[in-house]
Parts: sequence; C-alpha cells; structure tokens
Amino acid sequence: MAKYDPIVYKGGKRYFYRFSAHQRVQHVILFSSVLTLALTGFPLRHAEEPWAKPLYDFMGGTELAPLIHRAAGTVLLGLFVYHTIYWLALFIKNDLGGLKQQGRLTFGSGVKAFFTQEMVPNKKDFFDILHVWKYLLYFTNRPPRHDRMSWREKFDYFAPYWGIPILGPAGVLLWWRDEITHFLPGIVLNAAYIMHTDEALLAVLFLFFVHWYNVHYAPEKFPAATVWLTGYLTEDEMIHEHYAQYVKIMIEAGLEDEVKPQHFAGEEYDW
Amino acid sequence: MALTGFPEPAPAGDELNCVLCHKHRGLSRIDENGKFRLFYLNQELFDAGPHRRNKCKDCHSDIDRIPHKPAKKVTCTQQCHIVEPSGNVKFSHQSIADTLATSVHSSLDAEGNPKPHHEDYPGCKDCHDQPLYRPLSVYKGEVKPGITARAISRCKSCHTSGDFAEDFYEHVTSRLHKTRFPMETIEVCAKCHQDPDFRERHELDDVVTTYKQTFHGKLIALGSERTPDCLDCHVVPGENTHLIEAQDQPTSSVNKANLSATCRTSDCHEKAGAMLAGFQTHVTYDRDKYPLQFYMLMFFKALMAVVLYFFLTLIFLELLRRLFPRFAFFKDKEGNTPHHRIRNKKPEA
Repeated sequence: MAKYDPIVYKGGKRYFYRFSAHQRVQHVILFSSVLTLALTGFPLRHAEEPWAKPLYDFMGGTELAPLIHRAAGTVLLGLFVYHTIYWLALFIKNDLGGLKQQGRLTFGSGVKAFFTQEMVPNKKDFFDILHVWKYLLYFTNRPPRHDRMSWREKFDYFAPYWGIPILGPAGVLLWWRDEITHFLPGIVLNAAYIMHTDEALLAVLFLFFVHWYNVHYAPEKFPAATVWLTGYLTEDEMIHEHYAQYVKIMIEAGLEDEVKPQHFAGEEYDW
Repeated sequence: MALTGFPEPAPAGDELNCVLCHKHRGLSRIDENGKFRLFYLNQELFDAGPHRRNKCKDCHSDIDRIPHKPAKKVTCTQQCHIVEPSGNVKFSHQSIADTLATSVHSSLDAEGNPKPHHEDYPGCKDCHDQPLYRPLSVYKGEVKPGITARAISRCKSCHTSGDFAEDFYEHVTSRLHKTRFPMETIEVCAKCHQDPDFRERHELDDVVTTYKQTFHGKLIALGSERTPDCLDCHVVPGENTHLIEAQDQPTSSVNKANLSATCRTSDCHEKAGAMLAGFQTHVTYDRDKYPLQFYMLMFFKALMAVVLYFFLTLIFLELLRRLFPRFAFFKDKEGNTPHHRIRNKKPEA
C-alpha cells in the first residue's frame, strides 16, 4: 500500500489518496455487471410496460438477453467471492498476523481487531447518524466529522453484502430450476422469484437515488465524482466528507498549520 | 377487364354472385334489437382465410334466392360441401363441438343439465372470433411452412390443377407449428377469464393477470414464441386444444397427479425433477391462499420503504440545509474550528 502517497500535489492543489487501482478495477467490474444485470433484468420484470420490449430487444431479446444476464450475474458473484477473500486475507495477514507477531493474538483481541477495521460499523457511526439528523434539523451548525469511512459509505459498501447474498442464490435457483427440483420443492422457486425481483428493485432504486446522489447529483459532485477514476479526493471533498481523516493526515504530513476549517453546508465551493 | 367491358368474374366459391352486393363497404343495417350489423365481405381477407375454398352456400345454407331474407346464424357443426379426402365424407366441425362438450367449457354438466350461468360458456365463435379468427397470413405477416417450401414442388408434379397442392400443403404444414401468437391466445382466454364480473359469477381467480406475472407471461410479452401460453399447459395431453378439463378431473393436465408430467413434456422442463410441479403459477398474493408469497412481499415492501424513505428524507434535508448553511437553533461552541486545535488548546494563528 506504500506506493500511494497520502497527499499528492498537482497544479498547486492537494489531493488525498483514497482507492488503490486494484479497488478501482473491482468497482468498475461491480458497476458494469450490475448495470448489465439491471438492463437485462428490468425489461423482463416490467414486461408489460411499453419501454420493456425495445430495451429487451436492444439487450439481445428473449434468446440472448437471459444468457447475458446469467453471464453478468456469474461475474458479479465471482467478484463478490473474490472481494470477500481479498478482504479476509488482508485482515488475517495484516491484523491477526501483526497481533500474532506481538504474541497478543487471542480470541478477544481478534474480535476487537475485526471491529476496528475501517469498513466495520462502530460506535462513532452511531453517534454520527444522530449528529447528522441534529445538523439537518438545524439543532447544530456543525456537520459531523467523518473518518476515512463515513457511515453512509459503509451503508453503500454493505448494501451489496446484503443484496448479493439474497439476489445471487435466488438467481442461481431460478437459473438451475430444472436441476434443483430433483431435491428441492417447487415452491422454493416462488420464493426465489420474489427475492430476486423485489431485492433487485430495492438495489436499483437505492443505487439510482442514494448512491447516484452521493456521487452524481449532489451539487458539488455534479455531473460526476472522479475518485473512482483517479483514486484521489480533492481537498474540498476531504474537508466536506472526511474532516476527521483530513485533520489526521495533515498533522501526520506535518501540515498542521495549513489545516483549513470545516465547511458549513454548501460553503467554500466555487459554484 | 375494363377494356372488354365484362364485369369482374365472381370468385370461385361465389356461385350466386353474393359479392355483387356484399362487396359494398357500407352494406349494413340496424336490426330488430337495435344492433348495428355490417354485411360487408372483405374479399382480400376471405381469400387469405381458411374457408376460402368453401362456397357461400356451404355455410349460409338457408339462402336460396336473391335478394334474400335475414339469414339464420351459421352453425359451425353443419356438414359442408367439402369432401374430406381421407374418408370421402362431407366435412363438418361436429367432432370439435363434441370434444368441447366434454371439456370444462361445456355449458352442460355431466348429467346434461345446464350449469349455473350456462350462457357464459363459450361456443365456437366466442374464441374463434376477432382477433383470433383473422386469417393468419395477413396479420402474422407470414405463413411459416413446417418444412421447406421447396417440398411443394413434389406435390405439384401430380396435383397440377388449381391451387389444390398449395392449399393442402399449407393445411398440413400450418398444423406443425403454433399458428397463433401466444399473446393472441392469452387475449382470447382473457376475454372471459380476466373479466371481473365473469370471475365473480364463477368464483375464479384472475388467472390471466397472475400468469402475466410469471416468467412465462413476461417472456411472451417480450415476444418469445418458445414459452408456454395458456393452452400449452391446460390442454389434455395428446388431445386437440378444445379439450381443457377442470383441475379435479383425473385426466386433466393440471390435475395434481399429472402436473409434473405436464411441466416436464419434451421441449419444456424435460430434465426437471418431479417437484417442479410444486411451483405455484397463478399466485394472487392472497394472505390465506398464498401465505408465503404474501408475507415475503410484505417484508420486501416494508424493507424498501424503510431504506428509501430514510435516505430520501436525508437527501432532501441535506439539500435544504445548503440554503441556510450557518443557521442553527443552538450554535455549537466549536463551530467549524478544527477540533485538534480545541483539543490541544492551541491559540488561533
């Protein structure tokens, strides 16, 4: 991880490291497969709507689109398994391995190490949620100060972790309906059908409204955030979204005197 | 024709020159019941239809002079003048009517007494009507021969007179594939089975709507012709489409005992396990009839509402917050000062 500098300068501006190339490639695979799945799945879910048939025909029609859908689903499930193993491997190697070297690896310290992982929800997230409501309802003028991963980003991150375990197995059951009915009752397919179609609607609506608000529609992001391409956040974005981390990084880099004050909502932007 | 001054010859089947009058588009009247009746015959459609080789009088047999009195309704079961080549007997649709009479769609019960609301039960023309009875080649845009069209050249080497070879060939080959769009078949069944009053009279679920919610129904709506419509599952195996039986009949294709065989016919779920038949096709999400589906649907709806309302409210308030960035009922002491300065009690630069 050392190959990424926490702060780089370009054109006299500071940029803060966020995502490695490896993570950015995983995100591209994730969103390509999800978009493909949505485009080949939703015309079928809403087959009676006038837009469904033209879109389905464009995506390959009744013969090809199901194959594309299954291929994209396989890629997504593969990515899910890969990412989980990648995360666990890093956790075991860096965190548990580190504890072992120090001779402090016990069950308790292992569990504690897990709950201090940056993606794992913690106490600060709980208070940040309370704080943001307080802030949005005008009970305070100070926005919450998020660390490297805010609770909203954690929710975004864990949404696939609850969506894919529901959508994936249900999709596999519907795909292999002929094979699985040798040992599972047919009503499992009714359940899988509801799980697959309704969870997919939730996932797509969440992505379209919430995630795309975070990275596309929000006034300071519009038309699109760039961190998924560059891996770096601007100083404004850092101050706005990750103020606690920003202060920490600036102090570590010996730039304590150049730490800028926290933004109020919508201020400090040139738009 | 115009050069010779002779009128156009009447079509072959029109011995009495009926089209002399019936070719006029406006030929119509209001009958005794106040109903509008159109008597126009579209020659082009008729010539493309299955009855083009019948004479008018074959079906309208009570007409013996022109001009004629109001004619009787045509019955499909009467013998017509076409001689059926395999048995050398006059052709009739009587056998189809007999089949229909033994099906669930018969208006009489097993003892021969009229069923309740017997007038609701279909006769030939209730299904074989617009749009279903429109000549296929005109509305489907093509006639798909079951085997290569070149094969007809063999027939034509002997059967040289008229259109006999073409007609016979088409008659046979069109029966080797689905002659209707599955969507048309579904619409025919929907005429009654989706009608709320009809369903209430006969205490039936809305099977058409629930069918349209299945993968089968959706793929058909998207243009698939390899997906089952109503007939593919509900016709008694080995019989023609007119024999549909109620679920409780032992020979019915959808009887619990036969259902798995129906799903697993060749071309469908051939390799599936017998338990595939446990799949519920016509799910109404009724709490008592389909509790699993009902509660699952409620769960997902509730989940969706909670997640989306939470985040959409948050987004809405956040956008609103930008309008008054510095306003608050209670000002935070820290304000926007970096917190490490407060913690370290470092004087402001």
